[in-house]
Amino acid sequence: MAILEVKNLETTFKQRKSKIHAVNGVSFSLRKGEMLAVVGESGCGKSVSMLSIVNLLPPAATIENGQIFFDGQDIRKMNKRDMQHIRGNKISMIFQEPMTSLNPLMKISAQVSEALIYHKKLSKSQALERSTELLELVGFSNIRELFNEYPHQLSGGMQQRVMIAMALTCDPQVLICDEATTALDVTIQAQIVELIKNLHAKLDSSIIFITHDLGLIAGMVDRVIVMYSGFFVEEALVDDLYDDPRHPYTIGLLKSIPKIRGKEVTRLASIEGSPPDLLEKPQFCPFAPRCRYSVERCWRENPVLTIVPGKDNNPTHKAACWVDTRNGVEK
Amino acid sequence: MKDKIDTIENTETNYLTAIKDIPSNSLMKDAFLRLIANKGAVIGFIIISLLILVAFIGPYITPYDFLSQNLEMRNQGISWAHPFGTDDLGRDILSRVIYGARTAVIISISITVTSFLIGIVVGSIGAYVGGNVDAFIVWFIDLIMSIPSLLLVIVLNASLKPPLMRWMETQYLETKNTVFRETIWVDFVLVFASLALLKWPKAARIIRAQILSIRNKNYVVAARAAGVTTFGILWRYIIPNAMGPVIVLFSATLGEAMVLESAFSFLGVGVRPPMPSWGNMISDGLRVWHLYPHILAAPAAVLAIVTMAFSFLGDGLNDALNPRQWE
Amino acid sequence: MWKYIGNRLLLWIPTVLVVLLVVYALVFFGAGDPIKLIFLRAPGDVAYNPERIEAIREAAGLNRPFLVQFWNYLLHLVQGDFGNSLISGRRVGSIIANAFPITLQLGLAATAFLAILGTALGVIAALNHNRWLDNVISAFAMGIWGVPVFVSGPLLMMFFVKGIDIMDVPYGWHGLFDSMVILPLLVLAITPMALIIRQSRSAVLEVLGEDYIRTARSKGIPNIQIVVRHMMKPVLIPVVSQLGLIIINMLNNAVLIETVFGIPGLGQLAVKSITTSDYPVILALVFIGSTVVVTVNLLVDIVFPLLDPRALSKKETKQA
Repeated sequence: MAILEVKNLETTFKQRKSKIHAVNGVSFSLRKGEMLAVVGESGCGKSVSMLSIVNLLPPAATIENGQIFFDGQDIRKMNKRDMQHIRGNKISMIFQEPMTSLNPLMKISAQVSEALIYHKKLSKSQALERSTELLELVGFSNIRELFNEYPHQLSGGMQQRVMIAMALTCDPQVLICDEATTALDVTIQAQIVELIKNLHAKLDSSIIFITHDLGLIAGMVDRVIVMYSGFFVEEALVDDLYDDPRHPYTIGLLKSIPKIRGKEVTRLASIEGSPPDLLEKPQFCPFAPRCRYSVERCWRENPVLTIVPGKDNNPTHKAACWVDTRNGVEK
Repeated sequence: MKDKIDTIENTETNYLTAIKDIPSNSLMKDAFLRLIANKGAVIGFIIISLLILVAFIGPYITPYDFLSQNLEMRNQGISWAHPFGTDDLGRDILSRVIYGARTAVIISISITVTSFLIGIVVGSIGAYVGGNVDAFIVWFIDLIMSIPSLLLVIVLNASLKPPLMRWMETQYLETKNTVFRETIWVDFVLVFASLALLKWPKAARIIRAQILSIRNKNYVVAARAAGVTTFGILWRYIIPNAMGPVIVLFSATLGEAMVLESAFSFLGVGVRPPMPSWGNMISDGLRVWHLYPHILAAPAAVLAIVTMAFSFLGDGLNDALNPRQWE
Repeated sequence: MWKYIGNRLLLWIPTVLVVLLVVYALVFFGAGDPIKLIFLRAPGDVAYNPERIEAIREAAGLNRPFLVQFWNYLLHLVQGDFGNSLISGRRVGSIIANAFPITLQLGLAATAFLAILGTALGVIAALNHNRWLDNVISAFAMGIWGVPVFVSGPLLMMFFVKGIDIMDVPYGWHGLFDSMVILPLLVLAITPMALIIRQSRSAVLEVLGEDYIRTARSKGIPNIQIVVRHMMKPVLIPVVSQLGLIIINMLNNAVLIETVFGIPGLGQLAVKSITTSDYPVILALVFIGSTVVVTVNLLVDIVFPLLDPRALSKKETKQA
């Protein structure tokens, strides 16, 4: 039932004399109707890996390796035209900065209906009708007036709603939200999150939600993947992740979320050290320099995602670690 | 298993060791390196330096005096004796081209320097005084910049020349000084003055814009809050930061001034024969190019090369001093 | 929108008046007495008779104060009367009417040519960024940029006529669709075209990096549609504003081109009137020149908001 399956995806960026290894061999699958969160800090490769799926990378980037199966087909092998039929149509995206992601010189009506007219070959009036439906769905009421406006006349929250409606026009099977709420202020963020939750309940598209904010996704998504330095380090259902985090990085992330209510007053926790530069593909665990559970093996071999100990009959929870973090013993 | 995650003591040392030594360059050095890497700009710079060199030492190395006529040798083509040939009065074209370089360089440098001085003064006044004075200055700058240059200079020339000539007449009658007989000076002064008048608005505009924008930058406001004097701000922040666009404009204006000077000489309102300017040499050459193309070709080709050199150099300077981030 | 246009007009009309005033003053106080000039120029041995000159001047109203004369001039101007040429005696209006269409045709044709070709080349160069086509086009644009028309004109003329012998000497005006017009048109167009190429190229490069292009690509629409629908407007905006400057510069270049190729347009008229001190003609030309400048600027100001709606509105954001 996997609508999307990615195997061993590797993407690099060309710099003047070196290469940046942004995505280092990740694999995952996405089921129909599922909402998956990809979480990690800035620069860990979460956006790049998802952009690689639809081949929307900047010119300096190359997909070195990997297979991407959408609906059974290896879309990496597709030619440009077929790939264009997938983008906007079967797989849609919304981006982080709604103000700059909308064309400032085109009216809203033209932008929202554009994909419809091209992919579904609708007439202009049919496209506008469908667009109206979707714009109502995301919360607009005066659509006629909205159609004649330009992006700079709308606020950030409204722009993002337009982006969402725009992405949904062709009934895509997968919707990728790349840090869609990061640029909005907190109250608007909450509204958009609500909106996405409602849409997810109503429609049967699968959603990939990329964010760096662990606090945002609780109660929203079904499954979570944690990413660090171009690798997937933990994969779990959302409740499992929050209740029982297994990878040291995830543990550190969760501990660093400031708690308003708590028994004692503690210092703000953080993970010491900083992420490695991605100039070389590490032959050992990339988190080892910052990890308090590290053992000698961590410095020799890069761990792979395996089912966490103690849950052998629950294949949904995996972590890439040589150590059982419940007791500190090497696996 | 220490609870390292709940403490933040050792982070500092870790960070310090994590930061490698990043070599830094000063802004000018960076720009210089970028400029050197641009081949076109380097070639342009070499050509222009050559031009300036020739302009200064030229008259001492010309094989013939640029004024001496040799009616036996009229309209000769290229030869060893006359590498560029001779014109219809038997004068050696190479020598005249060399002297033309001197005309071009002297006029354009003086015009550029003068207009920049005026521009700096006016621009600074506008930026620092502000208010209605500034508004007037801006309006005035726009006004001058919207008038096509040729028309303005032609009109100035046409209307100011007679009174100037009359003045020269009266001065001569009074002082009997032969200087006032040299009507060439009138032309020269008129062209110089009108061109300088044309160019200062652009300089003023750039200077004013630079002062205003730099003054409002956060780090300058911070410096003012910390008590740095106006002069200190000028010296340490405004001048270094404004250097980039000013240098680019200077080189561009130099090139433009050279072209304008030759344009006016071409039309007959600038440097008049027998003084050689590439402009009037071209217009002379145009009359007989069909029979003697070398008379036209030499000054035209030289002027073309020089302007191209300015173009490449200016572009290189622009890229070096105002880098954009392309991928 | 109309308020905007009205605003601009209010700004520009005084400018024309000021320019006219300044030039009139220059001519008035500088050039000297037109009647004396006529006498001095008259062929033969005309006696220089001060009393007679004074009488004529009085009759012609030349002894009235400056501003009165200027006002008189303006009145005539508004009726289309530019006076008579000091040299030929013909009505200045008709002299100009003969020369104006020629320059106009040449200028407009050259502008259209360089705008279209220049933009196209710039776009092509940008889309081939860092490949050989881009380098060739950019180097060409950079090299040709500063070369003045009275240099490129003769050089090209020599090349085409003598060098490869492909045409006869282009001289004079035979209409817009005559083959003689190719070289002057080319020379007039080539230098500003360099500017347009560079403008459109850098505009395209900048737009390519914009987020909304990424959004457009993510919608799966083909590249051609992206270029035309999403990139054209942002690219045309700086091009159009440059075109305004370019047309104004054409006035300068017209003078030079017409001298080189012997075309009897306004440019040649200007040179002739300067060298012969034909003041009524000079004044009329100045008036036309500044009117053209103002009109062009006004047109650019009008077209600008059509292309970029952000220019008009002053922050009409609503709440989410």
